[in-house]
Amino acid sequence: MSAVRVVMLLAGKDLRIEARGRQTLGLVVVLGILIEVVLALGLGQASSGLRATAILWVTYLFGGVLCFEKTMAVERQHGAMAGLLLAPVDRGLIYLGKLCANLALLGALAAVVTPVGIVFFGFDLSAAPGAFAAVIGLSLVGYAAVGTLFSAVTSASRLQGGLLAMVVFPLSLPLVITSTQVLAGVMDRGEALDMSGLGVIAVFDVIFLTASWSVFELVVEP
Amino acid sequence: MTTSASIRLGRPGARAGSASTAVSLRGVSKSIDGRAVLSEVSVELPRGSFVSVMGANGAGKSTLLRVMSTLTGATEGEVRIFGESRGAAVRAKIGMVAHETMLYDELTALENVTLFARLHGVPGAASRARLMLEQLGVGAVAHAAVRSMSRGVAQRVALARALVHGPELLLADEVFAGLDVGSRELVEGVLTEAWGKGCTIVTCGHDVEQSLRLSERVLVLERGRLVMDEWAHRLTAGSLRERLGGRA
Repeated sequence: MSAVRVVMLLAGKDLRIEARGRQTLGLVVVLGILIEVVLALGLGQASSGLRATAILWVTYLFGGVLCFEKTMAVERQHGAMAGLLLAPVDRGLIYLGKLCANLALLGALAAVVTPVGIVFFGFDLSAAPGAFAAVIGLSLVGYAAVGTLFSAVTSASRLQGGLLAMVVFPLSLPLVITSTQVLAGVMDRGEALDMSGLGVIAVFDVIFLTASWSVFELVVEP
Repeated sequence: MTTSASIRLGRPGARAGSASTAVSLRGVSKSIDGRAVLSEVSVELPRGSFVSVMGANGAGKSTLLRVMSTLTGATEGEVRIFGESRGAAVRAKIGMVAHETMLYDELTALENVTLFARLHGVPGAASRARLMLEQLGVGAVAHAAVRSMSRGVAQRVALARALVHGPELLLADEVFAGLDVGSRELVEGVLTEAWGKGCTIVTCGHDVEQSLRLSERVLVLERGRLVMDEWAHRLTAGSLRERLGGRA
């Protein structure tokens, strides 16, 4: 079986479980909207691109942690991860399958909370919607790469979600800072998309994807 | 159900034709959190063996099976499965039923078994999965979610998952736990059939009579040490129970 088919099979399994249980997506979307409501009440309208991106990142970060934790919890229930580890497939592909499922959930979360943010805060993405989508999309890949790996690390711990947030949030800071700076330049100052900033995000993605794929087997060894 | 006598009469010939070793453990020790769970276990199981591992709770039976499955590495010693230490080629030959079912609650029995058939590259995965479920008497609940199943039914689905790719080595940890009498006989029949096709089977459990009836060899663990390795036909239920100290 080809590597791509294995990854699709495993990601499809996770998304099917999510579709049946409806435990994760509903929760993270409601959480994301609640965060936006609270911030809208506290901050009022976010007039700058910097504030808009930062507020959205808060929803992505908290929602993402819940997605990572829930999709990995499925593997710990009834020892299902051991079943996957016994399959004659590269264990890095198990990581990539889980990453694809998390990315799909993060994408669905972003597809809901971003328009809600536009309504609540009056974000104006009309100046560069494509740049916004590219920067956020690339950043979410890196965030999911880090979150998927560390959800496997922390899933055996009693702290789980709390510990995962404590590890993943600091590691994702380069993504949050770079993407907000790049989008502030585009949306607030009317500058062209900063390719070096985009490059930093892409390098972060490549490093964490490669490292996570390589060490996943060691992390999940029961 | 097939009697122990007829099983044993059928096996020696098959074994004689198979000289290679399925499982080879040499001086294997395993420590978990600083506590020795297995201590210097050495055993060789030829292809086509049917072996029961017995011992009191905490004797190290499940850990021994996990080491054989390559899911857990040994702290010391050498583990060889079909001549190799680990890797995808080894895993392709192994099927395992553990304490936990390794199934996904939200998926149906058929989806669970098909998923693992596909991961093992089984041609016609869905048909093969359905066939295995029917063979184990759970075809009627193929489209039911695992979360709605009793322990005994889920256990049979777990066995279907472990056998769907036709493993050469089946590791079955308390596979009869939670099964009613009819289901036990059914599962015994399926294990015997797999053995008849050349599958090496290692089970662990606490039922002395059943172990002697099914297996050709009995290993007894005591606090992580292998204290007995004997042919089943040389043992009686009484002598084995005595060796187990009445705790099995």
